[in-house]
Amino acid sequence: HIAEDTSDLLQHVKFQSSNFENILTWDGRPESAPDAVYSVQYKTYGEGEWLEKEGCQRITRKSCNLTVETGNLTELYYARVTATDGTGRSATKTTDRFNSLQHTIIKPPDVTCIPKVRSIQMIVHPSYTPIRARNGHQLTLENIFQGLLYRLKLRINHTYQMDLEGKQREFEFVGLTPDTEFLGTIMICIPNLFKESAPYVCQVKTLPDRTWT
Amino acid sequence: QEFQFGPCRVEGVVLQKLWQAFWAVKDIVQAQDNITSVQLLRKEVLQNVPETESCHLIHALLRFYVNTVFKSYRDKAVEFGILKSFSILANNFFVIVSKLQASQEKMFSTRKTARRRFLLFHRAFKQLDREAAVTKAFGEMDILLSWMEKFYQL
Repeated sequence: HIAEDTSDLLQHVKFQSSNFENILTWDGRPESAPDAVYSVQYKTYGEGEWLEKEGCQRITRKSCNLTVETGNLTELYYARVTATDGTGRSATKTTDRFNSLQHTIIKPPDVTCIPKVRSIQMIVHPSYTPIRARNGHQLTLENIFQGLLYRLKLRINHTYQMDLEGKQREFEFVGLTPDTEFLGTIMICIPNLFKESAPYVCQVKTLPDRTWT
Repeated sequence: QEFQFGPCRVEGVVLQKLWQAFWAVKDIVQAQDNITSVQLLRKEVLQNVPETESCHLIHALLRFYVNTVFKSYRDKAVEFGILKSFSILANNFFVIVSKLQASQEKMFSTRKTARRRFLLFHRAFKQLDREAAVTKAFGEMDILLSWMEKFYQL
């Protein structure tokens, strides 16, 4: 009996996680199986039973939100997808072992840049995650990662740049020239886990100095 | 940068280096472990460990990793082309065990409960086929590093 090759039905089954939103995604070749449907199961590593993900049974889209099911930061998880086409051919593929604390990508922070005459203030807003504490409160990235800090840069000109870094959420670049354009970038860094967000970028112009007019 | 396992202090080991070494090989190693229904380092082994017991427990676990897991896994590490990461982990674990050796010998009171936790791990290890158990233990190093991180001070 020669096993039928069904690899075209299903590829790249993996978790894509950012700020602890954990989405299972996969690919399948539409031209070879236009009528394929997909069913998702998941399990905690170390347990025997695979559980069906409600809302992701016999679906046609190629993604499934498993944020709630994989939300325990200390657990490791697997998920698997079964693809079935119109002729009854099927294929099942499993993800790598997944832990959101290790795998999640950090999104850029949300920042308000406030220009003044000789300074620019930057206020970083908390990054909320879908993770909830026992008391139901939504956790921020700062709550989850003790070592989290913010790294700010202000480009003055082609050769000169100012840097600030810290755990607080309010920063101010001072000693700037009035009525001048500056480019600011702000990143979230978690040094002990080698995590760094893409930068939030803000382009601001200091206010004109009207003291002598 | 040091570990502080209760009364036991270990300097000179950079935890981030261990994480980096493991992450470089994690998917290769864990893909070899098909027994997804067994976790050796499960909650009962590592959760809510009192500080006073942490030194005994980590010493027993790391000594087992050095004397059994790394010793048995080395050929596979060569086979999979991951010897560099493997060596970083093995050498650093050996350093930690050596430094823990002196201090944990002085403490007898908490040995029994820490021992019980280690035996839970060891019994689960013994219940598996030897090669599968070694592969699983090596693949669970992220669980161990996550626990060790709680005792690490930058």
